[in-house]
Amino acid sequence: MRVSHWSAACAAVVAALTIGAGACTDPTVAPKSTVTGANFFADPSAYQQVLAKIYAGLAVGGQSGGDGSTDISGIDGGFSQYMRLYWEMEELPTDEAVIAWGDQTLPEMNTQGWSASNTFVNAMYYRVYFQVQMVNEFLRQTTDAALASRGVSAPLKAKIHTYRAEARFMRALSYWHGLDFFGGIPLATENDALGANPPAQVTRTQLYNYVVGELTAIRDSLPVSGVAPDPATYGRATKGAADMLLAELYLNAGVYTGVPDYADALTSAQNVISSGLYSLNPVYRNNFTADNNNSPEIIFAVAEDGQHTQTYGSTNFIIHASCGNSMNPGNYGVDGCWYGLRMKPSAFRLYNAGDSRGSTMDTLAADGQTIAIPSISSFGNGIPNPKFTNKTSAGATGSNPAFADTDFPMFRLAEAYLIYVEAHLRSGGGTDANALNYFNALRVRAYGDSSAVDTSIAEITLDTVLAERGRELMWEAHRRTDLVRYGLFAGPLSGNYVWAWKGANAYGTDSTGMATDAHLNLYPIPANELIANPKVKQNTGY
Amino acid sequence: MRSLRWLIACALTAAAAAAPLAAQGATGTIRGRVTDAATQQPIPGATVTFGTRGGISQTDGRYTIYGAPAGTDSLRVRVIGYAPISQSVTVAGGDTVNVDVAMTAKAVNLASVVVIGYGQQRAGDVTTSVTQVAAKDFNPGVIVTPQSLIENKVAGVEVIDNNQPGGGISIRVRGQASYTAGSEPLYVVDGVPLGTGSGGGISTGNDPLNYLNPNDIESITILKDAASASIYGTNASNGVVLITTKSGQGKSRVEYGGSFSASSVTRLPSMLSPTQFRAAVAKYDSTALPQLGNANTNWLDLIGQTGMGQQHNVSFSGSGAANDYRFSLGYTNQDGVVRGTTTQQIQLRLNYGQRFYDNKLSIRGNIAGSRSMDQFTPNGVLFNAAQMGPTQPIFDTSSATLLAPWGAQLPPTGYYNWPGNSLTSRDNPLEILNGSIDHATTYRSVGSLTGKYDFSELTGLSGLTGTVDVGYDVTYGDRVTFFPNNIHFVTKNGTWGSYGESQPQQANTVLDMYLNFQPPAHLGPGTVDFTGGYSYGQSHGRFANFGESQIETNVLTDAGIPQSNAQPVSTVDVEDAKLISFFGRAGYNIDDRYLFSASLRRDGSSRFGPGNQWGNFPSVSAGWRISQEPFMQGISAISDLKLRASWGKTGNQAFGNYLFVPTYQACNATAEYNLGGQFVCPFRPSAVDQNIHWEATSAWDIGADYAIFGQRFSGTLDWYRKNTTDLLFDVPIDPASNLSNHVVTNIGSMRNTGFEFDLGGRIKDAATPGGLSWTANLNVSHNSNQVVSINPNATGTGTQVLTGGIAGGVGSTVEVLEPGQPIYSFLVCRQFYSAGKPVQGVYYNATGTDTVTGCTRGSNTIAEHDPAPHWIFGLTSNLSWNRFDLSFTLRSWLGNYVYNNVASNVGDYRELSDGSSPSNLSTSVLKSGFTQQQLLSDFYVENASFLRMDNITVGYTFPWEAQRVRLYAVVQNAFTITGYSGVDPTAGVNGIDNNIYPRSRTFTSGLSVVF
Repeated sequence: MRVSHWSAACAAVVAALTIGAGACTDPTVAPKSTVTGANFFADPSAYQQVLAKIYAGLAVGGQSGGDGSTDISGIDGGFSQYMRLYWEMEELPTDEAVIAWGDQTLPEMNTQGWSASNTFVNAMYYRVYFQVQMVNEFLRQTTDAALASRGVSAPLKAKIHTYRAEARFMRALSYWHGLDFFGGIPLATENDALGANPPAQVTRTQLYNYVVGELTAIRDSLPVSGVAPDPATYGRATKGAADMLLAELYLNAGVYTGVPDYADALTSAQNVISSGLYSLNPVYRNNFTADNNNSPEIIFAVAEDGQHTQTYGSTNFIIHASCGNSMNPGNYGVDGCWYGLRMKPSAFRLYNAGDSRGSTMDTLAADGQTIAIPSISSFGNGIPNPKFTNKTSAGATGSNPAFADTDFPMFRLAEAYLIYVEAHLRSGGGTDANALNYFNALRVRAYGDSSAVDTSIAEITLDTVLAERGRELMWEAHRRTDLVRYGLFAGPLSGNYVWAWKGANAYGTDSTGMATDAHLNLYPIPANELIANPKVKQNTGY
Repeated sequence: MRSLRWLIACALTAAAAAAPLAAQGATGTIRGRVTDAATQQPIPGATVTFGTRGGISQTDGRYTIYGAPAGTDSLRVRVIGYAPISQSVTVAGGDTVNVDVAMTAKAVNLASVVVIGYGQQRAGDVTTSVTQVAAKDFNPGVIVTPQSLIENKVAGVEVIDNNQPGGGISIRVRGQASYTAGSEPLYVVDGVPLGTGSGGGISTGNDPLNYLNPNDIESITILKDAASASIYGTNASNGVVLITTKSGQGKSRVEYGGSFSASSVTRLPSMLSPTQFRAAVAKYDSTALPQLGNANTNWLDLIGQTGMGQQHNVSFSGSGAANDYRFSLGYTNQDGVVRGTTTQQIQLRLNYGQRFYDNKLSIRGNIAGSRSMDQFTPNGVLFNAAQMGPTQPIFDTSSATLLAPWGAQLPPTGYYNWPGNSLTSRDNPLEILNGSIDHATTYRSVGSLTGKYDFSELTGLSGLTGTVDVGYDVTYGDRVTFFPNNIHFVTKNGTWGSYGESQPQQANTVLDMYLNFQPPAHLGPGTVDFTGGYSYGQSHGRFANFGESQIETNVLTDAGIPQSNAQPVSTVDVEDAKLISFFGRAGYNIDDRYLFSASLRRDGSSRFGPGNQWGNFPSVSAGWRISQEPFMQGISAISDLKLRASWGKTGNQAFGNYLFVPTYQACNATAEYNLGGQFVCPFRPSAVDQNIHWEATSAWDIGADYAIFGQRFSGTLDWYRKNTTDLLFDVPIDPASNLSNHVVTNIGSMRNTGFEFDLGGRIKDAATPGGLSWTANLNVSHNSNQVVSINPNATGTGTQVLTGGIAGGVGSTVEVLEPGQPIYSFLVCRQFYSAGKPVQGVYYNATGTDTVTGCTRGSNTIAEHDPAPHWIFGLTSNLSWNRFDLSFTLRSWLGNYVYNNVASNVGDYRELSDGSSPSNLSTSVLKSGFTQQQLLSDFYVENASFLRMDNITVGYTFPWEAQRVRLYAVVQNAFTITGYSGVDPTAGVNGIDNNIYPRSRTFTSGLSVVF
């Protein structure tokens, strides 16, 4: 009996526990090898690592080499690498470049034929906001209150103060790209909570004012470059970079706000020039080599590295894609040709004999490539432009033929000169002598002598500045913005300058080109964004 | 956890303490055994009553009735499928009476025991959709992966082949019901849940379920509807596969089975011959003509081989008065039909059962251990063999040394490659094959210890049993890939040799405790049974990967890395998960005529954040055995007819851990940024939905089980509808309000509707022993899938998910998830034909009313056809006559489509001139004449319906030295009739045929003998 009761009691306990199961009812598991928001900032180097992400957002498409673990969704990581998209949107629809490939919606880019569901245009929009949101999150995580709550030391706090200014520069840079490509778009700042209601769309002028205001506010908090090349600040936001970005904004203020501001453009360019930190690289081509980080001319670059910063976008894309047919990839320091990019005839014809900036293509013209482009998809049509290379200035191959070491020079001194000249011609102030000097400095470098210099400012017109910008900044992702500023990209005056494939059907065969509608001066806002954020209105004409 | 340990101790103490119990008062004990009168086999689960007392017979047929009142009364024994028995028994106080009962079968298939979740049931009592396949009905031949055993055997179960021996096999029970989460069923082996996915375990390339020796399996049961599966709650949305292994029965015996096999390839991609290739190059890429050689090289033949294999199984088994045992050892070695592929398995299993204390306590231990050694054909061999120029030689002794990026001069391999170093040229497949290594070793052990105690002796607890089940599942894997530094494949892409190793390891443990209560007394007009329990499972995984490139020397091959010249890439990931459950089931049975069952599972999972951890998964079902009704008694043709209906809800959490946790993702060493001269690893904050929860499926099933002509023909008929909601999708969001332009959230819904028909029968019974007998089984299933919604907040393209990536353009896809269409519908343009030939670049517009130039997504692409078969037929026939037996299995799929990516990728003449050296083309170019790639043409979406003779077996059984010996021969994949032009109409889960592993025909001969 005694045993039976014991047994019954135990059975009852079993039953009770089976139903109640005491302590084992909590399924919570804390992630161990995952870095969570809760534990990440316990490591003081975390702040630098998030700042690195903000910069890396321009250099690689995702968290692993070769653009794996992509930052944005809906498109391949290499395809959607920031600089690759930026380059394609600035170059392909202009008089400068075509791409052969038939990847979905890519052919539309050659002919201004995009729609609101163009994969590449959409991806650029998302890249802009990815950058913006990385910065906003960094700023939220580094407020004085947040730093105090984590007991951050005073020296680190001082560093973070500079990081915050750099981050805000990077946000201003991407917002510039956003307002240049898309016009008035939603303005999200660090004051908007994550995952909350989508922010409201602002006008292009409001966004312009915000970006200019930001840059003005942080200009003096940014690091100052040493005499270039300065490894400590190379590839990072500096005061010089902020001045260049301001110069770009002011130069296009008429497009962005309707009110031109050439005086400020000239002042900002002058600030860069007279800082004395930068000088023209005696060899033009050394701005585009595997060791271009040594160029004293570069003010801000997106730093790539064949070993540590591997992407299928940026310069690696330009170098590989510019190679094909009879070209030997080894001559450009890469492992193979992608058979993609060539110049439109209008671009090739910008160069005159003796201009070293065009000499890289001359031999190719003789080697079976045609100047005319009857078929965009045929690499043999159009002259390739191996301006960017994964060879060093000394002729050695970069550290990895699969991934270029070549940095993308976003701002360099030569452009500051050209901005000065153009702003001066557009009544922005300055002196004739300076303008003439700056303009001729580029010509002298290009020709190796003074055979092509202009002797008086009267010889320099706005049209010659545009042509010179084409020659000097060929394939450096400025062209669309320039053509829009000149009114020649699309719209009423666009019939004044027609180039091959301009406005043609992406799948058509008519390469003569035509004037295009004004709405194409802005890219469309992604169709998906209109759904996700009902406050956003589509740009007119789409 | 402490209370759990205490609980186990308590349960075991109770068992031990209860042992010496003595009977008391004027009562006695009745015990005995219930057997089948004809076969003398034990009948478990029979209800035995004596007055108000009673018991249930156990697996071995034994029953015990404690506290039987002294006197004479009727002893009644009742079990479905047998004629009830009532006999008079007299019990004296304090005595034990032994009464053995032999029952006469009325309908054996109703009486057979079906394994269900946390218990078993008589087939005749089942009110849900459950199909069990016993070992004798398994597919014969070379079977490495256990899922192949039931291919074609169960209506509603689609088994998707993997032609690579031992390769991972997918199963879809009643269609696809998820996109982001897994779609594989939950596997439970001897009560141990292995988790969802293929064998639940971690894979080093081949199927993790290969640890299980097919020869050790007693039966495989599929829980198809939500009502039967919902007792497994959050892992049950894709159905549940219960596998029971063999245990010892009867006298001691030794069994041996051995076989040898040879496989040959049945079909290879159809590429241009050397003559055709030369002609094409001459016409479309004449500048490449000087590169062409004069060889006649069939690269596909050169990488092929006859796949030899052997299999040996030995087992020792038997049972005694209170125990049973089975020990088995299996060995399999099977080569693939492509050189470099081999799978080798060694499996050990020990199954031991022991009963204590007058059979009240039974303990069963089941331990399996295995080692799989797999070799894989290195990556790149198959597609290069298809596309390498057929006019080119194999060897080239003239090639120069290669200059590695680190300055070393590497010797050439002596194999021929196209001149130049273009990324777009093909590589010599033999060079890759002969120098590269890709192999994996996996150790896995799964075991369980089950204690079951029968509380029947206790007053009021007659029919109560308690079960404690402790199980574990441990896997350690290691996969190594090595590419030498001097083969063209790696020198041109800049890796210059690579070594990669991944070492996944995982340990899962599970504790289940449950009570079954089946009181012998009636409750109202019927009998009841209850099951209730608790389950605790946890999983710990560690996944280490490391890789190096730019290898200094090839001398060590896969045995080590002497020196690497590039950044190494290494990661370690630790994953933990927990699942805690409470479950219960109640059944009510009125005269085996009206059957009701209900179950409820409450699951708590670590995969979800606060507030979303717990979920409830209920089910109800009912059955009406019309054939038991008086009005049916006159209809003698119908021997059994049961209508049943069920509804249940299940969940799906087969996705990654920590999806709800905001994380910072680290970079790797090749995605750093140079900050002031120092490379810094960027960390990225992730965009997450913290409210993520499981996908839910609720399903209806209406069915009938029938048998006619005295059970001679029987089968089932089912209709079902599964609605899956809260599907996880990666949806576009406003990029200005989160950290990305997309986030994974529960937003979509999907529906599967179908019906199943199964008919089996004895067509011819042997008139005399050894006479001709013939049985056959036919099953038919139909499923239609429809994506109902992907993102109800979206319109336009936001409601589509593009999927189905293909070769032929980075980011190109040919499939779509679109509301109203089946999942993975092809999204392509309708090709315009003229005079029977496709016209390049000309397609119909979206409405089909006109033709347009070009195929533009969003303009004239349309979603149609899908890769899933709409109809599946399986037919099995078994004939035996004298010492001979002959069987075959036929299968047919109708309505499945395949996208022929080999043809679309290299089926146009531009491929010759695109890049530097011409690559060989698919012969589809001869039909299409395309000069530009037409990836989105529906020309490449082919109806892949087929009829396949899966196996034919001939056997001869003869006595030898008093043993029975069976000799047999099997042909697997004897023939396939299909209109599909590619390699194999069962091209993979999602119907994209891109240089898939070719299918083989296998001849096996073997013998089995029992000592």
